[in-house]
Amino acid sequence: MTEPTSAAVREFWKGTLETLARYPARPEIELLPLRSTPFARLFGVRLTSLGPYRLFGYLSIPTGAGPFPTIYYAPKYQSVLEIIPQGTANLQRSRYVTFALAGRGQRNADTPYAAMFPGLFTDGIETPASYVFRGIAADSVRGLEYLLTRPEVDPSRVVVAGNDLALITAALAAGATHVVTTPALFYKTAALAPKTQAYPLEELNDYVRAYPARAEAARHTLAYWDLLGFAPGVTASTLLMAGAPGTLLDVAALQPLAAALRGSVTVYESQQSLYKDGLQSERWMAAQCRIEDVQSILPQRWRE
Amino acid sequence: MPKTVAPSYQSKVRKPDDFDAFWDDVMREANAVPLEPELVPDPLRSSEDIEVFHAFYTSIDRLRVAAWYCRPARRAARTPAIVLLPGYQMDPPIPKEWARKGYASLSVAPRGKLRSNRQFNPGYPNLLTHNMVDRHTYAYRGFYVDTWRSVDFLLSRPEVDAARIGVTGSSQGGGLTITTAAMRPEVRAAAAGAPYLCGFTDAVELTHTYPYEEINDYLRLHPEHRAQVEETLAYFDGISFADRISCPVIVNIGLQDNVCPPETGFALFDRIGSADKRLYPYDGHGHDAGRAKHSAVVDQFFARHLLGKEVSR
Repeated sequence: MTEPTSAAVREFWKGTLETLARYPARPEIELLPLRSTPFARLFGVRLTSLGPYRLFGYLSIPTGAGPFPTIYYAPKYQSVLEIIPQGTANLQRSRYVTFALAGRGQRNADTPYAAMFPGLFTDGIETPASYVFRGIAADSVRGLEYLLTRPEVDPSRVVVAGNDLALITAALAAGATHVVTTPALFYKTAALAPKTQAYPLEELNDYVRAYPARAEAARHTLAYWDLLGFAPGVTASTLLMAGAPGTLLDVAALQPLAAALRGSVTVYESQQSLYKDGLQSERWMAAQCRIEDVQSILPQRWRE
Repeated sequence: MPKTVAPSYQSKVRKPDDFDAFWDDVMREANAVPLEPELVPDPLRSSEDIEVFHAFYTSIDRLRVAAWYCRPARRAARTPAIVLLPGYQMDPPIPKEWARKGYASLSVAPRGKLRSNRQFNPGYPNLLTHNMVDRHTYAYRGFYVDTWRSVDFLLSRPEVDAARIGVTGSSQGGGLTITTAAMRPEVRAAAAGAPYLCGFTDAVELTHTYPYEEINDYLRLHPEHRAQVEETLAYFDGISFADRISCPVIVNIGLQDNVCPPETGFALFDRIGSADKRLYPYDGHGHDAGRAKHSAVVDQFFARHLLGKEVSR
């Protein structure tokens, strides 16, 4: 089986988005008083995506007159859906609209399909059409589409944040002005996975070891998801979070990806400190969104 | 530069007078439940050097707990063992890495986690505050017992050396490491990273980040329950358990930890009963608590106490 051509990849995603468009989102929104504060209200949002499949997300809207800068937290590779990422100051919600989406299989979006971790990464990987991440990428696009319908969102300041899906979403859907991405799953996967024994890439190694006859098909499928293929479609300013030197996805490894992105790119090298790396991300987003007093929305322990 | 930790900080955690009696009752109830250990091979995840199994056992409330069990394919008749305890939001990993180091390893999914959520599933967020007004039904009553029973599971395995069992984890896994080492004298060495579930009532004032923020959310909506909440949490606070620990123990914390305030790590360490204890504070680090550097320290610690050798990396 040969590598898919660029035209085949483009056609696959065009077809996926056209299929998604056939399903109206039909949003339902419900206030969640337990997680609402004097500075932000939290809502549970249900949406339809490709399939059809019903999704769930947490939408937080600051108190006061908008529109507001916005952070869209694309689906993560874990079962739990967070309101905002663990360790983020809750006060972030006072300044940004935030929307965190559970892709199919994650908690709150786990009926009828409950994903396993590990397990999700190779589910249906035999063909691009059956691969579970076709649906998850569509879910992430649907989330951004919904978010952009909200009148509280300032469309000139929309950050899409997350791992690979942040970049994929920014490439497939219009509306992201900024991207914060930490590649983990879909960058030169077939070549890099054999160099590690760590999950989630180890899932691919397990799969290839158990089903050697399907290895080529899996590699073929993964080529449709490679970030290098999506990069030319990203015009948003991007913060590319690279691993520490010597790690699988360090600055040197990601250099081709950085070069392929069409918008301005800032490459950050991990300091192997959630404090330093997190601070960089918070400051970058605030600067891009013209929030001047970032100190006031940092975790207490990080403030100067 | 960020603020430094106030050296004069005093934890508010007070161990209830009937703390031991409460947990003795819980353990009596748990011990009456048959363990019913079960191993199911997982050929997909197994390889030439590591055997991987789905493990199951029964815990208090007759709840079936899932875990991952890994062991070296080539091993001695009696192998040292490690219990790996999970973070609050993380999906329990397959502990192949520990098996590669020579340990039988069990990665536990306490109730509510993926694969252990058929009978109990309060969700995330929510677990931290589920029935928080009542220590007899608080979510962590069963959750703690599920982790302690992991030691019984290991003791049921003929290949495990009962005299060489260790426990480790970070964040919630760090807090659970503390409670497990406190409640199970069979644990011979414990390494706790960035311990969560220690200093609850301190943490909710020192930080406003999730998961601890779940408690602030709850109290904002139900201020009338504050006294009951604080009463319950004192029974579940790792600081209340710490004086029962007698095995060698190491603790690492990040001085810029935005999830588990370092003040709570210092307070915990101060209360640990073991004479063989060491704290590793990492400046310039958050909730990672210096993991990139500290993992070698943990390896050496367990190699010394469980493998009986010194290692260097």
